Amino acid sequence: MTATVSKTDLPATPVGNADEINELLRRYGVKFGIYKNGTFKEQLFPFDPIPRIITAEDFKGIEKGLVQRVDALNMFLFDIYHDKKIIKDKVVPEDFVYISSGYLPQCEGVTPKHHIYSHISGIDLVQAKDGEWYILEDNLRIPSGASYPLIARELTRVASPGAFSNNDIVDNRNYAKLLKDTMDYSNCGGINAILTPGRYNAAYFEHSYLAELTGSVLVSNDELFVEDNILYHKTYSGGKTKVGALYRRISDEYLDPLTFEPQSLIGIPNLMEAYRSGNVAVINAPGNGVADDKGIYYFVPKMIKYYLNEEPILKNAPTYLPFYEEDKKYVLEHLDKLVIKDVAEAGGYGVVFGSELSCEKLEEFKNTIINEPRRFIAQEVIDFLDLPILDNGEQVMRKADLRAFVLSGENTRVWASGLTRFSRNPDSFVVNSSQGGGFKDTWVLSR
Amino acid sequence: MKRLNFTFSTKLTFDNYVYDHSFALRCVPPETAGQHIVSCELDISPFASTKQTVDAFGNNVTSGYLKGEHRFLDFEIKGSAVIDSDAVRDDYMPCYLYQSKFTKPDGAITEYYEKIKAECTAKSPFERTVYFSDRLSEIMTYEKGVTDTKTTAADAFALKKGVCQDFTHVMLSILRLDGIACRYIAGLACCDGETHSWLELWTGERWIGFDPTNNCSVNDDYLVLSQGRDFGDCAIDRGVMFGAYTRQLQLISSLLTASYY
Repeated sequence: MTATVSKTDLPATPVGNADEINELLRRYGVKFGIYKNGTFKEQLFPFDPIPRIITAEDFKGIEKGLVQRVDALNMFLFDIYHDKKIIKDKVVPEDFVYISSGYLPQCEGVTPKHHIYSHISGIDLVQAKDGEWYILEDNLRIPSGASYPLIARELTRVASPGAFSNNDIVDNRNYAKLLKDTMDYSNCGGINAILTPGRYNAAYFEHSYLAELTGSVLVSNDELFVEDNILYHKTYSGGKTKVGALYRRISDEYLDPLTFEPQSLIGIPNLMEAYRSGNVAVINAPGNGVADDKGIYYFVPKMIKYYLNEEPILKNAPTYLPFYEEDKKYVLEHLDKLVIKDVAEAGGYGVVFGSELSCEKLEEFKNTIINEPRRFIAQEVIDFLDLPILDNGEQVMRKADLRAFVLSGENTRVWASGLTRFSRNPDSFVVNSSQGGGFKDTWVLSR
Repeated sequence: MKRLNFTFSTKLTFDNYVYDHSFALRCVPPETAGQHIVSCELDISPFASTKQTVDAFGNNVTSGYLKGEHRFLDFEIKGSAVIDSDAVRDDYMPCYLYQSKFTKPDGAITEYYEKIKAECTAKSPFERTVYFSDRLSEIMTYEKGVTDTKTTAADAFALKKGVCQDFTHVMLSILRLDGIACRYIAGLACCDGETHSWLELWTGERWIGFDPTNNCSVNDDYLVLSQGRDFGDCAIDRGVMFGAYTRQLQLISSLLTASYY
């Protein structure tokens, strides 16, 4: 979908008292944990006071496109773990599904309540200079980040109340309600619980904050056990409470040491048996990695046509799969202009810009692609729309993306906000928080 | 067709008390076209409340939880089954065509495979399996105690030694390199006294059993307990427990007796 850029009358002005907001964020412990060279470092996730503004009209299009995309992805996941029609009909090659590390044969035939696999989807988009929005990637394994704009908005209200009385901005404080509704809808009877691997986890702040807002119990794995294929939470008085929905961020392979990685100390033994028996919803469902695999990304527009018989509303960034001969030829010829992504990596790792490689490295990389074509996807570098940020009191332009949050409950709904991340390095296109970028509030206008 | 009476027991003893013990057993033989389970009783001691489900690979999973302190876990299955290894089983899954955690070949296996492939004139998946197993048995010898349950196909191939689990993993690795879908079987075989493992290969239409350790076809003397991509999917017992124990001792015994049917 196309939109005219900067249709808003609002100037790119910072909300007031930015220093105070950052100080409040620090005091609230709004941090992001990073593992670098084997050590855990917690750093503040810097907040930029100039909001990203999305017009009501622009948002309407994005919303429609995201609902369509996430619905198709959920249908794909159900299909892959059941009849595999999309493979039999040769829309997606079987290799791409079964070689994907996210495909878990242990999930074959397991059906989550209401067929919802991706309850919370984080879809990363960028807006190009011509105003068109492109999907960069889908995150269907409990994407993190919603808590940051949520708390930033909360604190901005305190520090700079005028910003919201003077502008027509859609209230984003309903995220907790959306999340609770989503958990309740899939809940198999019992409490909602948010599982945290502990405070040394990158998203610990988020887990505790979301638990507080949704009235869920924040639990660690040693407070949970499975008996008679029912997941229970140990209460302080020595009793047990049934858990009906478990929001978890730990990777599938560590989820249940009796089904997956036996060495896992952060999982819950026999959780898969409880899940298979329909006694607990695992949010998001195990096995989702097969649908947000960077190689599968290429096929999402085809999925939308296949399952929904609709034209995709939002476009993928132009992508090539070296797996296909024709694409491989193009990629090898234009490598210096493309961005190459390793399908097995996440969080901004394994992303290589051809233009940054020396001739020697370029040749080396070509050989790697020839030898392991399935390992990479190549994309045209999108000329992102730069957004203004404040750098030492001065306005400068930086690359930014938008992580939109889509929640699948009774209906599929898009949160009218999102996490806008920007790169602090003027030459970098990589905006992932794990790479040291900052974030902005995202204002969706009500008119 | 043959009627087999089976007994299989495991005694797990700890040198100190353990608690919060979760376990998953894959020891109740599945009912398939190839084996009709006439009777099967499972006894677990100390008493634990258990539930049974069927996992993605078709295995009966008995899951249980022992909250209080205990120093042992024993379980035993006893029953009889009618085996018909000629019956057609066609419960195919695409994942069996792809290498898995334990079967992932390294350079040495791949190189070895390329060599024997070049010399193989057999056409059908079964004949190719027979040929590859003949070749493997020339270089790999059966030896206990040099490998354990964590040993991968690549590790075992480097040693050229191992037990049934290792022979099976190396063969699965070779067959998958050859584009033949195949799966790992954990079960009981006559005259073994412990558990045994072998493989099944997919002909395109059905599964056929093959025992790479003994380099022979599978007949009616084999009882399937569990099946999957490799040992990781098939472990007959898996458990997680808490406690200050430093050692655990596992004693396994099995008895399979046949009477023609």
